[in-house]
Amino acid sequence: MLEVKDLAVSHKKKLAIKNLSFKVADGEILGFIGADGAGKSSALNAIAGVIKFDGEILYNEFSYKSPKEAQKVKHDIGYMPQGIGLVLYKTLTIKEHLDFFTDIRDIKIDREFLEYKNHLLSMAGLEKFLERRAGDLSGGMMQKLSLVCTMLHRPKLLILDEPTTGVDPLSRIELWEILQQSAKEFNTISIISTAYMGEASKMDNILLFDEGEIIARGNSEQLIEEIKPFVYDKIETDKKHITISDTTYCLENLENQHQKPTLESLFFVNALKKDRLLPKLQIAKSKESIDKNVVVMKATKITKKFGDFYANRDVDCELKSGEILGLLGANGAGKTTFIKMLLGLLPLDGGELELFDKKIKNSDDRNKLKSQIGYVSQHFALYDDMTVRENMMFFASIHKIETLKAIKLIDNYSKELGFEKYLDEMPKSLPLGINQRFSLAVSILHEPKVLFLDEPTSGVDAIARAQFWELLKELKNKRGISILITTHYMSEAEFCDRVVLLKDGEKIADDRVENFYKKFPDAKSFEEIFLEYFR
Amino acid sequence: MRLRIVKAYFIKEMIELIRTKMIMMPYLMPLLIVILFGYGIKMQVTGVRTLILDNDNSQISRKLILKFEHSKYFTTTVKNMSEKDALREMKKANIDAIIIIPSSFEKNSLKGVKTEIGVFIDASFPSRATTMSNYIQGVVMDLASDFHIDSSGVININTRNLFNQALRDEEMIVPGLIGMVLLISPAILTALIIAREKEEGTIFNFYSSSVSKLEFLVAKLSAIFFLVSIAIFVIFLVASYLFNLPFRGSFFLFWLASELYVFTALGFGLLVSILASSQIIAMIVTLMLTIIPAFMYSGMIMPISSMSGDAFITAHIYPVMYYNHIIYDTFLIGQGFKSATNISYLLILFTYGVVLFMLGLLFLKKEIK
Repeated sequence: MLEVKDLAVSHKKKLAIKNLSFKVADGEILGFIGADGAGKSSALNAIAGVIKFDGEILYNEFSYKSPKEAQKVKHDIGYMPQGIGLVLYKTLTIKEHLDFFTDIRDIKIDREFLEYKNHLLSMAGLEKFLERRAGDLSGGMMQKLSLVCTMLHRPKLLILDEPTTGVDPLSRIELWEILQQSAKEFNTISIISTAYMGEASKMDNILLFDEGEIIARGNSEQLIEEIKPFVYDKIETDKKHITISDTTYCLENLENQHQKPTLESLFFVNALKKDRLLPKLQIAKSKESIDKNVVVMKATKITKKFGDFYANRDVDCELKSGEILGLLGANGAGKTTFIKMLLGLLPLDGGELELFDKKIKNSDDRNKLKSQIGYVSQHFALYDDMTVRENMMFFASIHKIETLKAIKLIDNYSKELGFEKYLDEMPKSLPLGINQRFSLAVSILHEPKVLFLDEPTSGVDAIARAQFWELLKELKNKRGISILITTHYMSEAEFCDRVVLLKDGEKIADDRVENFYKKFPDAKSFEEIFLEYFR
Repeated sequence: MRLRIVKAYFIKEMIELIRTKMIMMPYLMPLLIVILFGYGIKMQVTGVRTLILDNDNSQISRKLILKFEHSKYFTTTVKNMSEKDALREMKKANIDAIIIIPSSFEKNSLKGVKTEIGVFIDASFPSRATTMSNYIQGVVMDLASDFHIDSSGVININTRNLFNQALRDEEMIVPGLIGMVLLISPAILTALIIAREKEEGTIFNFYSSSVSKLEFLVAKLSAIFFLVSIAIFVIFLVASYLFNLPFRGSFFLFWLASELYVFTALGFGLLVSILASSQIIAMIVTLMLTIIPAFMYSGMIMPISSMSGDAFITAHIYPVMYYNHIIYDTFLIGQGFKSATNISYLLILFTYGVVLFMLGLLFLKKEIK
């Protein structure tokens, strides 16, 4: 049994979490969900006894009020902090990791342990890669190895901070199988935070976090039931509301059909309750007429090799004007490599590339087209020591935009994309969602025709993600910009016009989203379609 | 303390050091520093303030004076004063060298009778002194060949180094460098291997497990201690064979002092790594904390005894001075364990190391800052 009483954690003098109290029973899986910076990690750190906190934590007969006092329960704790492969030593092999963790956890090596270890390894599918170094593993494999290392000493209290973020759906399912089995077999208390709402349904109980407090608790059905009255089909209204995609959230009664809420809806209803209305994001219509169905990018049999390893092999891909093309695939499927080749950041090892009907043979061809292309990288390439405005001015001057025009553009975009009040702050102090929007603004300053986005929504919370997609649609509709976007959130495929699936560097499917659903009529979500291809 | 955990960390640390090639640091860096500095620190000397006492006043002596006056290496004054007064001038640091030409220098040298030019050199900076003495020798040789005098036999130069007698450059510099490298490389390595865990996040394995602070520190430090202990012998061989340093004292004393000193160096790195959150900060802070004192306050460049006020106190605060004293003793003097200073300095080093380690143990927290 674990009981948390009046937990409060401050981080750099700011209260990250306050008045947190809850109980978890043996064998229970408790989920923490909430936006970025809602205080989930702080709470987990406190329970794991690795950060100073106020309040009291009771674990069975032990009570601790500080990391020092937590020392006596660490024997029972298995903690996996947030970050892909964070606890792994990049130069050590899988086998060396296992030996190391066996020793520092002081585990008695007997037949039972060896069986358990092999069982974990085979569940994680790692037994064939024992000699491979952690640095050479894909993100999904790293997370699975981290989990195996965390569970090696059979912790009675398992604390996992976003163990599945950045992990492909297949690996995620496998991770969950390990977790659920451990909860059942060893009566483990598991506390798990996640960014994937789909996983919340696998949890026995959920705590929904917002601004350092719990705003809702219960299992996923209960939570969804609670917000049912506030979710409607899309409708225009003067009452306070939030409309995203084809759903309208409103706390007052609306004359419209109710919609079945999802767990994501929780965040929107909460935002309404807290009176945090979303700024209406609208982009001015381009004056030029928009041609549809013109091929702007055509890749033929593109290949990239790293040593003996094919990162991309004979990938064909076409991007038409005014289209959002989603590039989906597991970690290490070759998505980033592909985008980098399109951008000319990596040379092609084979195949041909055409941009705007021109064959790209050398960097000269490409430089002529640079002004037509915008790019947002996986880790937003912003300067941390300059304010948002200074960053934007800098990028404007890189694109040789006149100062006066640049000031006007920045003014416009910051209003349209809703980060006006953050203009004079440092990117580091801003939520990821704001950074993401402002990176997008930077990438369209020079009015490109094509936009390449590499996992722009990774790590961003549900509301910010939804807003970001709204923006992309605006860009497509009002500006006619073609967008190529990579993502590992399968649910985001629904927002794309067309989807290309990559697996091990090769294209395995390429179709319009509605056609995928025709092909798999039983599939309830794109995640299930994805799994059909990868199983 | 559970040895199993220490062993696991030790092995892990070794594998990481080997695969990241960092293992070369405790060997490559000291060798580079010793070789580059050992050969490199030779200061060129110009404008040596030279006082010539001409007791002969002959053609040859005047010619000799002329040669000194025409050389850019010397700023010459000729005075008629007593040797004693001249030495007093040197003590006041008004002149660097005194050349005394004996009476009947011309007569004797032309006849082939042995004669002796007296030279006094201010040798507080040994390398400078050596150079000055070489220059003076050169000028006298030159003179001798002008007058077809067999210089080697007839004109002797009796050089006396004042204030710092009979020291070669290497003999002064190289032991000092040992004190420098044995401080820097263990300190940096320690700071790096702990800061790296913080930077990469693997420190959570320590935070969230039952591994104790003592186990963690002993494991981390013993890995570096082991590597640097081997380096001690390598450096000793380089000093002895590459630089032909004499070794007059006790090797056991040298080894013991070195190990204790390395222990204190580990403490420096440990403290830095507790404060620093990234490898780069750890590296820069450690460098600042170690290089400057190891260079300035070690007695290598400037004798501690001639320091005053703050500098004197600073020199005594850092451990470098104590180690260097013992090192100079073992290489050049050889008093060994008979010297009470050596023994007390050993104790100081030991205490220093223990205090740093305890501080590290105290300040290390199993929690996120």
